[in-house]
Amino acid sequence: MNQVSPILLIGVGGAGCAIAHGVNRAFGESMRHVLCDTDAVSARENSRFILLGGDRLSGHGSGGDVAQARLAAEDSKHAFDECLDGVRLAVIVTSLGGGTGGGATLEILKHLRQLGVPGIVFATLPFSFEGEERACRARGITSMIEEAAGAAIFTQLDNLIDNTDNMAEAMRRAVDTLASGVTLFWRILQKPGYIRLDTERVKKIIATAGRGRFATVSVQGPTRAGDAVDALSRSPLLAANQGPVRSILLGILAGDDLRLSEIGTIADGVRDAFGRQASFDLATVNDESTFSGRLSAVLMLFEAGRAQADDGEAVSATGQKRRRRDANPLSQGPKGRGRFTNVEPTIYNGEDLDVPTFSRRNIILDI
Amino acid sequence: MTNIYAAIELGTTQTVLAVAEAKTGSRLKIIRHAEINSSGVRKSQILNIHQVTQSIKSVLKAIEQKRGKDDDSLNIGNAFLVVSGQHIKVDPYCSSVQVEGSKVTNRDIEEVERACQMMILPKERETLDIIYQTYGLDALGGISSPKGMSGRMLRLNTLHIHGDTNRINDARTAAGEANLELRDPLFAVSCAADAVLNDSEKRNGALVLDLGGGSTGYAVYFDGYLAAANAIGIGGDHISSDIAYAFQTTHAQSEELKKKESSAVLLPAGAASARIPLPGSSPLMETRTVSRRALDTVVNLRLKELFSIIRRELEDQDLLHRLHSGVVLTGGGAALKGLDALAQKEFGLPVRLGRPIHVDGLSDVPNPESFAAIAGALMFAHRNYECKPLLSIFKGLFK
Repeated sequence: MNQVSPILLIGVGGAGCAIAHGVNRAFGESMRHVLCDTDAVSARENSRFILLGGDRLSGHGSGGDVAQARLAAEDSKHAFDECLDGVRLAVIVTSLGGGTGGGATLEILKHLRQLGVPGIVFATLPFSFEGEERACRARGITSMIEEAAGAAIFTQLDNLIDNTDNMAEAMRRAVDTLASGVTLFWRILQKPGYIRLDTERVKKIIATAGRGRFATVSVQGPTRAGDAVDALSRSPLLAANQGPVRSILLGILAGDDLRLSEIGTIADGVRDAFGRQASFDLATVNDESTFSGRLSAVLMLFEAGRAQADDGEAVSATGQKRRRRDANPLSQGPKGRGRFTNVEPTIYNGEDLDVPTFSRRNIILDI
Repeated sequence: MTNIYAAIELGTTQTVLAVAEAKTGSRLKIIRHAEINSSGVRKSQILNIHQVTQSIKSVLKAIEQKRGKDDDSLNIGNAFLVVSGQHIKVDPYCSSVQVEGSKVTNRDIEEVERACQMMILPKERETLDIIYQTYGLDALGGISSPKGMSGRMLRLNTLHIHGDTNRINDARTAAGEANLELRDPLFAVSCAADAVLNDSEKRNGALVLDLGGGSTGYAVYFDGYLAAANAIGIGGDHISSDIAYAFQTTHAQSEELKKKESSAVLLPAGAASARIPLPGSSPLMETRTVSRRALDTVVNLRLKELFSIIRRELEDQDLLHRLHSGVVLTGGGAALKGLDALAQKEFGLPVRLGRPIHVDGLSDVPNPESFAAIAGALMFAHRNYECKPLLSIFKGLFK
């Protein structure tokens, strides 16, 4: 039976279209995807393309104007409707700093939400050498995207380059990194292994995940599990100074030689490195044809989410269900939830506001 | 002709019911009101339906016992529900339609208004209100009345206020058990803003902060329309909980410390006695005292944090510098000592207490700002159901 994917990949803006096209090629199969831009040059062969605001901008781009891009996306939003048949989750890739990436993404997210389709956004933030204006434009739109999307992963391009890179290499690496991350995420959803993460579970996780960051790693050899943990722990894309971690999503992709102990090593290593108190979700992909002898991992860290299973249980690193260690909210972070122990927490910027402010700020009272 | 309306708020600390009378040619007047301590509600969420039902029955009984001059008994069959809590979300939404001719007609306006009703919410969300803000015509925005203007694409900017259906249904269930039918659920802070702001303040820009027990709502009016609103799951109950945690007191003791002794701003050293006896201490034990400075620090930190969150949200929406009429404080928490001074400092704006100005009958109430949301809900009822009496008054019929 030919099953239609419930996930749609949307590339928004020039860079977003390039990344989405790259993901489609990397996946090596026909995937549900659509590209959209205000500039007609972003159209690609074998990819469905929606020209945003054709009447308004005549396909010449938004000229870096976020407002024009928003209006253009608003004009063309219904063009997405026919691509959304049966779609349960949208994955949007884009680059912020120009006009269309930010402005159109926001409008598309709103439209998707109205249709009941949640979206997870993978977006790059501009290089610092691109100037303060682009950085400012990107900063201005991130919180709105975060709010509209439920989950938004922003990758600071500066973290992807080293000083020896030339411009072309830097750009290629940026696109490749994002594309590889999205590809691995896609495989987790489309080719689940023994520990699976289905679309509905991902929907639930991203509904409250908030701002996130991600990194990928690909390793081989007898010590590959430890090497993966080491590489992820040192990844500048996951630097701890970017914000607290409330929710961890780990995907491990390998061939048939994937060992249970390797899953345990990576899962434990990641939780040790990024916070045992964060909620944790794990998925594996066993695909011998793609990952023979190799192990890839994609790690997403979210700042606001509480990825809790419906039954209050989590899947352990060894695949067995066990009671979540932090099922009692009193054990989450500092003590002091008191009366609010069993009610929905108030999380703001990753902080549990039900805990007294003085306690969270470690202020010692002279009682 | 006289119409009677009722509104109820199932708050975290208080259950409040008020009945208003609207006579032709005169202002809306609250003729009866009653408030009792709530149970079964925390952070504006119902945790025990049975307890909430009992609270509703108690408040109904209390109001029926408060006889007015002209009636012997009042049988309240239904009431508007004032809701608050962090499950309420406010989303901007823009609908657009092609203008049929070259100029905008009433039909185009009706069309774009109809289009904005088409926003699809997830099935667990329920629309509370749709606020029409401004119209846009092609690249032109901020239009209050587009009729007769020339253009191609007509847009309408709206705010969709929606809440968690399950949370609202819990309230309906609890009320149903008490034989009270709940009518439209209304967002507390937008009701409060309606009740306490005059037209000039709405035009010049004002921020209304509704400080409830379980959550705090804010609403911003600018250019005469509701520009933004939100609810944050932090309320007066958090202050009490912080005090209880800091000083290892019971909830009742921390409530009393909060209401009678604490201040939102730190008083200069020596301004008041440095130590406060803990209320309600057992006579069999040595009286405990707590440091006033420490108490005020706990309260100050919590409220400063709350205000800074709201301030950041307003800055993100580019609204803070538009609040020329300042800040208006409403809700049960508004009476906290020093709150106005702290708000003035944190927002850099003039601050006043928000007493309902469009409704009579609250002159005997010591803290009318805590009735702002209820008063706004009654105004809503009067505005929208003017010709449809909502209550049955049986003058001694069943006696």
